[in-house]
Amino acid sequence: MPVRTPHFPDLLFGSAARLRRWEGALMALLAAHGYRELHPSLVLREPVPEGALRFFDGEDLVALRWDFTVALAGLLARRFPEPPDRVAYAGAVFRRPVQPWEAMERFEVGCERIQPEGEISAEADVELARLLMAVPEALGLRRAILHLGNAALVRRPLEAEQLPPDLAKAVVAALSRRAAHRVREALGDHPAAPRLTAHAEALLADLDGPDTLKALDASPYADLLAGERAHMDRALHALLPILPERLDLRVDLADVAGLDFYTGPTLRLWAPGAQQELAAGGRYDRLFPELGRPWQAAGFCVRLSRLLDLAETRPDLFEQP
Amino acid sequence: MTAPVLIAFPKGRLGDELVPRLAGTPLALDAAALKSRVLRIPTATPGVSALLLKGADLPRYVAAGVASLGIVGSDTLDELEMDLLELADLRIGACRLCLCAPAGITLEDLKARPHLRLATKFFRATEAWLAREGLTAELVPLSSSVELAPLLGLADAIVDLVQTGATLKAHGLVETALLGRSSARLIAARGAILSEPGRIRPLAEILLRALT
Repeated sequence: MPVRTPHFPDLLFGSAARLRRWEGALMALLAAHGYRELHPSLVLREPVPEGALRFFDGEDLVALRWDFTVALAGLLARRFPEPPDRVAYAGAVFRRPVQPWEAMERFEVGCERIQPEGEISAEADVELARLLMAVPEALGLRRAILHLGNAALVRRPLEAEQLPPDLAKAVVAALSRRAAHRVREALGDHPAAPRLTAHAEALLADLDGPDTLKALDASPYADLLAGERAHMDRALHALLPILPERLDLRVDLADVAGLDFYTGPTLRLWAPGAQQELAAGGRYDRLFPELGRPWQAAGFCVRLSRLLDLAETRPDLFEQP
Repeated sequence: MTAPVLIAFPKGRLGDELVPRLAGTPLALDAAALKSRVLRIPTATPGVSALLLKGADLPRYVAAGVASLGIVGSDTLDELEMDLLELADLRIGACRLCLCAPAGITLEDLKARPHLRLATKFFRATEAWLAREGLTAELVPLSSSVELAPLLGLADAIVDLVQTGATLKAHGLVETALLGRSSARLIAARGAILSEPGRIRPLAEILLRALT
């Protein structure tokens, strides 16, 4: 028997009951807002990336479902000529951990809001943010923080400057560390270095609340990003008046997690003292066109495995059922 | 219930340089505990403790969120794939990462060898330099006393940090190429900054004021 094993979590009575309760509460919340469940197969036969759990089924290389959004997108693109507008999912994904403390089997509940290309997407983004705002109450989380970001704030300037892919990757890695000095180091004497460094400093400005957007005034790309800024401003004005008491809302201009996937507004849910985000999502308008469908989409995923861990280590963050 | 805040400090030369600078600040380390063998040291602020860790291990404690803040050399950060935040370049503990060879052997001599062996613990930085130079080499993993390797025939040259150059000189080695520069960085756990900025940012500010 191997003595060094990956982290496949076994859930004992309390955690198993909590998982069942949370899945039920979140799926009921999503159903109440018109999201219908789809359940893509646990076994995928399409090409899969590094990090998926792969094995041979006879002569066929297959993989366990490693991401619900990608699995659902494949299913939708294959089976539906028109997109169902609201889809929900619940279950496990299997992914090789990047960090040793992460589990390989992860439980998730999430949703996708899909629209034909050209339809106005701003309301769909706000709809998802409102839905995510209701998640802490459904989970019995006493306090939570919702971060609003926008992948385009970094993506568009990098595209405008036509940086080589490796250099763009280094800039994104520096921003992921929230280190403007690393952005400067990475760009060296590249002609765009002064502009992109000033932009990084603007994105990392330590402001709070709606004023955070004013930091973009100092960016050399302020005009380029005027549309994104207006979108975020409208979202803030729509969300702040209905903010639940247990929730703080913050603007995170330097959110670059998943930048190769997200194309627009992003959402992250944190709890005070949590070391990992508890839910994450955003707009990803390039996935369906890559699969041959002219659709745009956004969604979010609640990471129940992280919540289960948090309930064990910080029970004070949760209401007792 | 509020979890205690842990700040990770490096042991060794960099730690020796940092710790005295915190004297008189709210994050001053308890002098009696420092003299003992304990590795978790109370600070002048209740609920905030310091961990004394080996530099190579320190980023892992911060990335896992065990320590909320930490100080470590950028050379160590660059060798690891850790998801953490880098709040500032403290501009102390400055070093050069250099290719060093026995005196009399030039970079061209090394490049001309059919099989180059380099002893180092800085694999990523060395591989990046080799790629930039269009070279290939065998990397000999050594974590300490690396200066001995060329003298004893274990490697042709070394890639290591150089601060004053005194150790190199003592072993008859000279710098033949500059691969990069390193300095101490203030790092933070992503979760600590994004989920508790009101608690962690003021501590980071204290460190910045004391150390820069």
